[in-house]
Amino acid sequence: MDYLLAVLLPQLLHGLVFGAALGLLALGLTVIFGLLGVMNFAHGELFMLGAYAGLGVIGATGSFWTALVAAPLLVGLVAAVTEVATLRPVYHREPLYGLILTFGLALVFREGVRQLWGGDMRRILPPFPGSTPLLGMTYPDYRLFLLAASAVVLLSIWLFFTRTRAGIIVRAAVQDAEMLDGLGVNVRRVFTLTFAASGALAALAGLLLAPVFTVYPQMGVEMILLAFIVVILGGMGSLGGSVAAAFIIGVAQSLFSLWMNPQRVAIAIFGIMIVVLIVRPRGLYGREGVLE
Amino acid sequence: MRRLASLVMIVVVLAVAGVWMAAPALSQSKVVKIGDLGSKVGVFEGYGKYQTMFMQLAVEELNAKGGVLGHKIEMISEDDETKPAPAVRKAEKLILQDDVKLLMGAVSSGATMAVMDVTKKHKTIHWNAVSCAEFMRTTKFHKHYFSNQPDSRMQAAGLAKYIKDKMGKKVYIFYTDYAMGQSDGRQFKTALEKIGGEVVGVAGAPLDTKDFSPWFGAINQSNPDVLFLAFAGTDSLRLMTQLHSFGMTKKYKLAGIDCFLLQQDLPSIAESMEGFVQLAHYSSFNPDRNMQSVNERFKKKFGVDGNIMAGAYDGVMFWATAVEKVKSFDADKVAAALEGMCLDDTHIGKQCIRKEDHQVVMDMHLYRVEKGKNVPIARIPGSDTIGEPMVGKDPVEGFTWDIKKKN
Amino acid sequence: MSKALTWPVAVVFALLAIVPLVPGVSRYHLLLAFDALLFGAIAMSLDLLIGYTGLVSFGHAAFYGLGAYATAVLLERGVLSLWACVAFAVVVVGLYALVVSYFATARRGIYFALLTLIFAEVVYTFFRYTQTFGGSDGIQGLPDAALFPGVLIDTPARKYYLVLVYLLFAWIVCRVVVASHFGRVLVAIRENEDRARFLGYNVQRYKMGACMISALLTGIGGAIYPIRSAFATPDLMVWTESGEFIISVMIGGLGTLVGPIIGGAFFTLLRDKVSSVVDWYFLVIGAVLVFIVLFMPRGLLGLRRLVRLRRGRAPA
Repeated sequence: MDYLLAVLLPQLLHGLVFGAALGLLALGLTVIFGLLGVMNFAHGELFMLGAYAGLGVIGATGSFWTALVAAPLLVGLVAAVTEVATLRPVYHREPLYGLILTFGLALVFREGVRQLWGGDMRRILPPFPGSTPLLGMTYPDYRLFLLAASAVVLLSIWLFFTRTRAGIIVRAAVQDAEMLDGLGVNVRRVFTLTFAASGALAALAGLLLAPVFTVYPQMGVEMILLAFIVVILGGMGSLGGSVAAAFIIGVAQSLFSLWMNPQRVAIAIFGIMIVVLIVRPRGLYGREGVLE
Repeated sequence: MRRLASLVMIVVVLAVAGVWMAAPALSQSKVVKIGDLGSKVGVFEGYGKYQTMFMQLAVEELNAKGGVLGHKIEMISEDDETKPAPAVRKAEKLILQDDVKLLMGAVSSGATMAVMDVTKKHKTIHWNAVSCAEFMRTTKFHKHYFSNQPDSRMQAAGLAKYIKDKMGKKVYIFYTDYAMGQSDGRQFKTALEKIGGEVVGVAGAPLDTKDFSPWFGAINQSNPDVLFLAFAGTDSLRLMTQLHSFGMTKKYKLAGIDCFLLQQDLPSIAESMEGFVQLAHYSSFNPDRNMQSVNERFKKKFGVDGNIMAGAYDGVMFWATAVEKVKSFDADKVAAALEGMCLDDTHIGKQCIRKEDHQVVMDMHLYRVEKGKNVPIARIPGSDTIGEPMVGKDPVEGFTWDIKKKN
Repeated sequence: MSKALTWPVAVVFALLAIVPLVPGVSRYHLLLAFDALLFGAIAMSLDLLIGYTGLVSFGHAAFYGLGAYATAVLLERGVLSLWACVAFAVVVVGLYALVVSYFATARRGIYFALLTLIFAEVVYTFFRYTQTFGGSDGIQGLPDAALFPGVLIDTPARKYYLVLVYLLFAWIVCRVVVASHFGRVLVAIRENEDRARFLGYNVQRYKMGACMISALLTGIGGAIYPIRSAFATPDLMVWTESGEFIISVMIGGLGTLVGPIIGGAFFTLLRDKVSSVVDWYFLVIGAVLVFIVLFMPRGLLGLRRLVRLRRGRAPA
């Protein structure tokens, strides 16, 4: 029982937090893919840019909370500009070009950041450094805050997708993008806005996680691989599936780290993905034919 | 026509590439080159940068006196990306293309050992000033290799007694899971258990781990007195920050290896490092006359305090002295001259290269971090730490990671 | 092989063969040339997959790295025969490629790219954290391999000739595949997968075949690498390495086979020269990729040939 509380529960909490951040990333990926037909290899870099933008804003204003608002906006802007300048021309081309393009963009973002801020790790101090004795272990307050914050964000997104007109349209368009045109919507603008919004979400996740994981240029690379697994697991085109899978993977990863060499956890996660692919190839909630 | 155009383009590209590749270095009269190989970016960036700086100091001082054997010394720096593969490539480039007569490096033990294969094959004088795995002066040793970095066995010999006597009997060893950390883990466990200490747990985290909290539960459960940490670079920064936020830096006494944290990084986590004990040969806060003299010179040139990378300065000095002695750059002659050679006024006083395993015997200090500065609390003579030479012998024979359960 | 191309090809290989005999070519240059030609050959085998079949593999570095570890494991244990190493690599890489290609080709579209990436990551993680294979430091200090008992491949010149033979072998295999019926079906699949399916071709099997051939060629290339480097490390399999293969193909030109060889060689030389001087070359590489996709999807040699193919002419 002691073990359960002192060791298991904190890990579970941590897994939920991580899963939430992963969910934000995977959601963005799925939406972009469904809507624009592009698998955004640079998505992890948007996550990373969020953390660095946060660094910049905190450096200029000294306030973490200002950064929490400003950084996603800044990254959203960067994403919008990138979409217009580089992605738009390749929508009509073979999908392999989009893949290679976003791969190149990822390199540019990552190395650009490395040149500007240096390759070593930077720290963003949590806005409140205290800790709470929780169930036998002293748990940092910031991690508790993260839990609450990610719950709020995910809830807002859920509300957006189910209660607002814009959200419902985007959700439907993710299933069938041609329909957008038929509804008389300005397709180009929706694409750009959606890309910008998913970038902003990724950035938010990046900044929220930064005080825990520290800020370094490779942080996006590590998240994106997990995000891909989440997307495959949850089923392409399913928003709910992405989030559900993200939590499953997040918690699984956290708990597995307790019982096996944390290094081998990645292999275990991967094993889960393979099993699901064999048993249920379209993922948890995926729909047939969504990939074309 | 199109095919001709593309063929021409191919030829042009290849020609440009070929010419570029083969471009000879500008020939200057009487120049000798030395190589500086290390991590210039990434987790060990600090060590690599300071290695370059200390070497530059040495080169500058030597060149001001006319260089070595009438040759001006030119230093070529390369980044090994903290990995063995690029380290080998760069080492080959330095040796085969730049013809360096001395190779300093690398920083990461894994890279250093990989480079040792190259320097052995091409017979180049190889100096290691910071890597501390225990294999370099034992199983991987070759006769052109020299080091003044106290390896993990030496550190364990010097620090274990203090830990057991003054800090606590029950120790948890937490190390970084690659060559250096594993080596430290092994040697400290062996040393502690030999003098009657109790190792209540061991765990390794991969290099560049972002979140150490998965290991904290186990640490807390085993209830140690002392937390012994074998990490380096940015991993250490992250680890200490996280340990602190989980309240563990106040709960346990802290000790670690000499390269755990560069002094430059101390101020940012001073609070979490309070009371941290390590064994090292350099601290800019050590009032010792020799130490301060070197530190002043370094500070005058670079504007910042020095750190344990001062070993690289000594390495260049040793090499230059040996070359002058035998009036030759030939690796075999220089190596022979280096054996048994002593330098008297280094930052730590006298340093002598032991003949059997080319390891420098030198004193060290026990340091404790107080208010963001590591201050000396005791001087440990070199003879206590050097240990017996084990060239060719397996230093980990019979070792087991198993924890002996005591009640 | 059409007559039109054998003369220039023979000339090029003959020229390459006398490189070690040219005065002024140092040991270092030969090792560099080894890297360049190896990389070029692997890029060419990747082109079979990307350029001809339209499948982007983001995990090709895993085939390369597995081949390298196969050789390293044998050399480490004293099995010095080159042939044993290559054979073992073929078996290991073949099994892995079979599994990967099966899952990756099961669904359409970008599934292939994603799954090859994920599989490669897992292989990388496995080797990085398994101490039996040396962990993150890999297997080092390997002895030279032997062509026949007593004949060691120890000098840079011999290693160079080894890679030249490999390049020739890979080239012949690729040309044969491309000119065959199998190769034409691959192009058909790339052009319009549904139509190929309606024509009765088992598309997944063809895709798997292309993937296997490409993977095996790459794996053999990987098997040769430790003979030159005397080590095998997990970094050979990191996904950015896969990215570098892709870059080589793009620079050289999709679907041309020759282009990627040059692209690969050029990229290797560039990387060696530039990385000593400047550390932002990855930034340039990324920018070049973006640039190529937007403005110059043809690379150096271009998609001209594929365009010609589409218009009904026989492949050159």
